[in-house]
Amino acid sequence: MNGIVVVGLFDAVELAASAASALRALPLPEGDITTISPMALPDGAVCRDPRGIGFPRVTLVGWFVGALAGLALALSTYLLYPLITGGKAIISVPPTLIVTYEVAMLGALAGTVLAGFREMGLCRFRTRLIHDPRVQEGKILLCARVSGDEEAKRAMDAMKTAGGIDVRPEEGEL
Amino acid sequence: MEIKWAMAIDLDRCTGCGACVVACVAENNIPVVGEAEVEKGRLMQWIRVARYWEGEYPEAQAVYLPVPCMQCKRAPCETVCPVYATYHNEDGLNAMVYNRCVGTRYCANNCPYSVRVFNWFDHVWEKPLDEQLSPDLTTRSRGVMEKCTFCIQRIRRAKETAAEEGREIRDGEAVPACVQTCPPGALLFGNVADPHSEIARKLKDPRRFRLMEHLGTEPRVVYLKRQKGAGR
Amino acid sequence: MNGSDHLSRTDPGALYRELSRSNLPATKKWWLGVGLLAIVALWGIGCFVYMMKTGMGVTGLNRPVMWGSFIATFVFWIGLSHSGTLISAILRLTNATWRAPILRGAEAMTAFTLMVGGLFPLVHIGRNWRFYYMLPYPNSRQLWPNLRSPLMWDAVAINTYLLGSLTFLYFGMIPDLAIARDHATGWRKKFYTVLALGFRGSHNEWRRYHVASTIFAILIIPVAVSVHSIVGWDFAMAKVPGWHSTIFAPYFVTGAIFSGIAGVVIVMATLRKVFHLERVLTVVQFENLGKLLCTMSLLWGYFYFSEFLTVWYNRNPEEWEVFRSYGGVYLPLFLTMIGCNFVVSFPLLCMRRVRRSIPALSFVSLLIVIGMYAERFLIVVPSLARRNDPFIWHNYFPTWVEFSILAGALAMFLLLYAIFAKLFPIMAISDIQEHLFHTTDRKIGDVTVESIAMPHDTGKGGHG
Repeated sequence: MNGIVVVGLFDAVELAASAASALRALPLPEGDITTISPMALPDGAVCRDPRGIGFPRVTLVGWFVGALAGLALALSTYLLYPLITGGKAIISVPPTLIVTYEVAMLGALAGTVLAGFREMGLCRFRTRLIHDPRVQEGKILLCARVSGDEEAKRAMDAMKTAGGIDVRPEEGEL
Repeated sequence: MEIKWAMAIDLDRCTGCGACVVACVAENNIPVVGEAEVEKGRLMQWIRVARYWEGEYPEAQAVYLPVPCMQCKRAPCETVCPVYATYHNEDGLNAMVYNRCVGTRYCANNCPYSVRVFNWFDHVWEKPLDEQLSPDLTTRSRGVMEKCTFCIQRIRRAKETAAEEGREIRDGEAVPACVQTCPPGALLFGNVADPHSEIARKLKDPRRFRLMEHLGTEPRVVYLKRQKGAGR
Repeated sequence: MNGSDHLSRTDPGALYRELSRSNLPATKKWWLGVGLLAIVALWGIGCFVYMMKTGMGVTGLNRPVMWGSFIATFVFWIGLSHSGTLISAILRLTNATWRAPILRGAEAMTAFTLMVGGLFPLVHIGRNWRFYYMLPYPNSRQLWPNLRSPLMWDAVAINTYLLGSLTFLYFGMIPDLAIARDHATGWRKKFYTVLALGFRGSHNEWRRYHVASTIFAILIIPVAVSVHSIVGWDFAMAKVPGWHSTIFAPYFVTGAIFSGIAGVVIVMATLRKVFHLERVLTVVQFENLGKLLCTMSLLWGYFYFSEFLTVWYNRNPEEWEVFRSYGGVYLPLFLTMIGCNFVVSFPLLCMRRVRRSIPALSFVSLLIVIGMYAERFLIVVPSLARRNDPFIWHNYFPTWVEFSILAGALAMFLLLYAIFAKLFPIMAISDIQEHLFHTTDRKIGDVTVESIAMPHDTGKGGHG
């Protein structure tokens, strides 16, 4: 869904916030407005993210997948190699628990990384992403996805009025 | 017939001569490492005759304790091996697979009797000494753990002979080198599952005890306590 | 830059330049240092190959001391690794405001100590070239690892911890890599572009980034605890007097965190000095680490005393012989351990003056690292040297081959660290920025962000 994104740089968070309220009043849906900032801004300060955060569920799933893998490793060892060692039972519970636990934690970590990266939208090397390195100078980039020239013009006006620098339409993804 | 190998060591009879050690070295292709290495604590012998002193000089008396691998029923060495290089074989013996061993040496640490020896180097038998190597078993490369096997090659041979002749293995047919050699007859080996075997009778001796019994390793080597008194 | 004692609050570019000094093009000095480290590391590797070709006999090991300096060093490095990830995870979760400058350095330390420490079991085994026998993969040799061996627990746990720590390190670095990408030119630009994975700092990314790093912190803490517990269990599971003890797992974890914090102090002091980070790494960080060290020293002393007391009172002959040897051949090591870990360092750490003096604190940390090495050695060796059967008692002293390999490992760690510092942002720039940002109350749009007390601005406050 490549679209037109209106971007504008702001010197201060306060300016960006007022621009964002202006954009919301246009009205633009909340999900189409976002900031690119050198540090995290509290949700609602400038824009609000209406999407829920879903990947912690994958952490849980990863944990269970890992636990199953660990359990399978332990159990299959007992089944496939029924060598008696130390006169002890072939299936011993504590080592199974330990192996299960460690692999489960690995699964949870892996699940978090993969799902987290996905949900953050990382690793999209082929798509053109909206970005302006000038945010590293302490500026804040306000981005608003618009449809149609009319809306773009109004969004640009709103940003300019609020004190936006270098307000321009860009093609790319958020 | 079920087989439960066991060894009895009569401390009353042991004179500490060390013939068992020599026999073992000859039978099992055990390298002779030389004085310098022995001083470093790297003796390769599978059976050692530990010598303790009882009493004070001049009444001091030597006590000899031959210590082979105890072939524990609940062998602590087996559980800790990460690669199953040491395991329990069908006769209940504690066997060692040299090819599997990666040399973590955990088994040796976990053996309370410290009977496991490690190949610190590759050992060479100079000519013509290599001619005396037993063809029944391998020599071990560096980095591998080894230990007393109750002369498993002899046990195997006895079993095969018995099988060929279509009979059960007879008492006294399988004899480890140390037992065969012991001049005073302090060592005895046999199948305790056979109630008529000599060892089964010997193990009823009230002098019997097992080394570090409190550790719960259930050794298959049983000692017969030394008696004190006149003529001993 | 602007001559003040404080970091630049208003000019992020200046801040970046200050914090990324380690990434400046390599100087002659750097090459010299790295070259020296590489030589030592290569020498260590050479000695390892020599040992592999000749046999483990070139070490001082014997029967009964089948485990020696390699295992002690393994435990030591894995212990050091508990600094980073664990500390930084705890600091993240408790939202300790002084944490920002420590995070990256500590996490990197974890990753590299684990890499180096993880080599030691492989160095130690008799047939290193057959290490893959311990991997669970289907093969025609009918080989499969024995999961009942604590060594396999170790392998599984360290694997999880290493992968987790690397992820933790990398994940925490992504925003900084993005910052570096936006500032960098030339090959570094390409390098950071790939590594930053397209992170820009959009609202969506930041929100999820924070959730994810919290989850990582929560996950990595129990993993870290389990790893050193299992290292402790390598010993505690064995039927060896002096090893077979229920206290080992918590005792090992405590010792690990103790030596880990000491390691962090040394690494931080070095980074501060080498890269002129005096304005980021202030007395506040060191004093707080000093307090943690003080607590851990006390805790270590408590654990050691508990362990000693039970054996001393019981006088179980097998165990008592091990402790008796501490008064014999191992007396110098024992005194080093007790002195460095508690008797000397605890009173010193109780003094505010010591905690607030970076050289003094670094010195105490060095003592602790030495003391903890002695402790590891004392755990591994005397218990084996005084096995159940007195007939085979034998002492052990490492040979030049072992010392070379140990030195090579240390060089390898330093080398990895030096290269890392050259290539990656060694300071958690975005966390520091955030911290600076949060130190003033401000109204952002409809939300007011409360300021957090800012101790290092006054330079006097003692609490984070």
